Amino acid sequence: MNGRRDRHWPLTLSLLAGVVLMLFPLPNWGEILRPYFIALILIYWTVDGSFRVGLGTAFLLGLFLDVAMASLLGQHALGLVVMVYLVQRFRSRIRFFPMWQQSLSVLALLINDRFILLWILLIQGSRQLDWNFWLAPFVGALLWPWLFLAMDHIRSAARSRAR
Amino acid sequence: MPDTAHSEGQRLFDNQVSPTARLVFYGLLAIVLMATDFKSDYVGKMRYTVSLLATPIYAALEWPFAMGRSLQKTARYHQTLLDENEQFRQQQLRTRGQLQEMDSIRLEISRLRSLLGASSSLRVEFQFAELLRVDLDPFSHRVLIDRGSNDGVVTGQPVIDSSGIVGQVETVLPGIAYVTLISDPSHALPIQIARTGQRSIIYGTGDTELLMLPNLPFNIDLRPGDRIITSGLGERFPKGYPVAEVMSVERRAGQTFAVGYARPLAALDRGREVLLLKVDTAAVDQPAQQDDEEAAATTANQEDQG
Repeated sequence: MNGRRDRHWPLTLSLLAGVVLMLFPLPNWGEILRPYFIALILIYWTVDGSFRVGLGTAFLLGLFLDVAMASLLGQHALGLVVMVYLVQRFRSRIRFFPMWQQSLSVLALLINDRFILLWILLIQGSRQLDWNFWLAPFVGALLWPWLFLAMDHIRSAARSRAR
Repeated sequence: MPDTAHSEGQRLFDNQVSPTARLVFYGLLAIVLMATDFKSDYVGKMRYTVSLLATPIYAALEWPFAMGRSLQKTARYHQTLLDENEQFRQQQLRTRGQLQEMDSIRLEISRLRSLLGASSSLRVEFQFAELLRVDLDPFSHRVLIDRGSNDGVVTGQPVIDSSGIVGQVETVLPGIAYVTLISDPSHALPIQIARTGQRSIIYGTGDTELLMLPNLPFNIDLRPGDRIITSGLGERFPKGYPVAEVMSVERRAGQTFAVGYARPLAALDRGREVLLLKVDTAAVDQPAQQDDEEAAATTANQEDQG
């Protein structure tokens, strides 16, 4: 039991960091540009495959995020479930893509997520959406290589220290 | 959390279940949850329990800002404090002067009311609260305040700032509370036009600078610049608080209703300090009597002087 929990700490810790980054206060203009950190981290672990990150994880994480961010219950959950499903589907390909192609796939995933969000917002009766609604996926895609390298680096450093 | 998710997933589905079936299952579950959350309060309890888990994260995010504030306070110069003090004193004097005028008006109103035999207006108390430095979902139009059930905050309490209605308390936790802004698309507020007294309902649009009056009669007397105030119907918001200013009225041929657009007066996305209103419904009768006594006392005084 203990051993199992130990093995899971990189996943738990990174997801927690993701939630904090989603809530971290930014100035007003930065709020709309905020990359979807938690999705990036979830994509990382799904592609990586060290843990069995599946639709269940995505769903529960999404629900937690919905409560923590006070959004409509199920809004983030739906987006993340669809995203993890797509990543699982194309995992074998995304894994061996060069970095820029990975970034492009992440961009496609994030834009797809925005379409889901747009659908939810329009059903709720939101009227005003600016063009900058579509900027966050690009910020996320630009961030992807750095996040990927940083996570790899931290993990290998932790592993070598453990030895 | 991922642990439980993992085992949950295993219990719910064997590996034989196709990923697409899982996607459909979770997707439908999410959609049902969203519909329930939007239309009713059934999931409020769940929201409350899970929010308790999020509280430490909020506290951790708020901590550096609280530290910064307290440092700033201790590092203030004596002279600045004195200057500020003087400034506040003058401001208070000015406000007091204005209040005196208000007092006489209130007395007059309560006297007129008692003549009419109408019930006295509700007594309202204010409680100061500050917004937490946490960015919630930018599309959900909710904010967090630093007062909770420990401070006597209850669900449904109106929230205002110095210029108008901000929103109402939605979920209350021990130290914090979520406030739904009037700009949230799910928020509706009973209002009246200050100039004409015409009543209607104003809705949020998902934009902090725009509110909507979607069902106005076609021949309504409404001009840009008109003030919109709360009507007090629905018994959640007290009567007469400023809400918004009319920007435009749209009358499209073929539509049943005219549509009005208005700009909220409160600083919905910029303000940091708000006031919670405590409408004391239980004490409605008592203050009325008190007012009458006050009124009697003042008239007696006036007579004495006369």
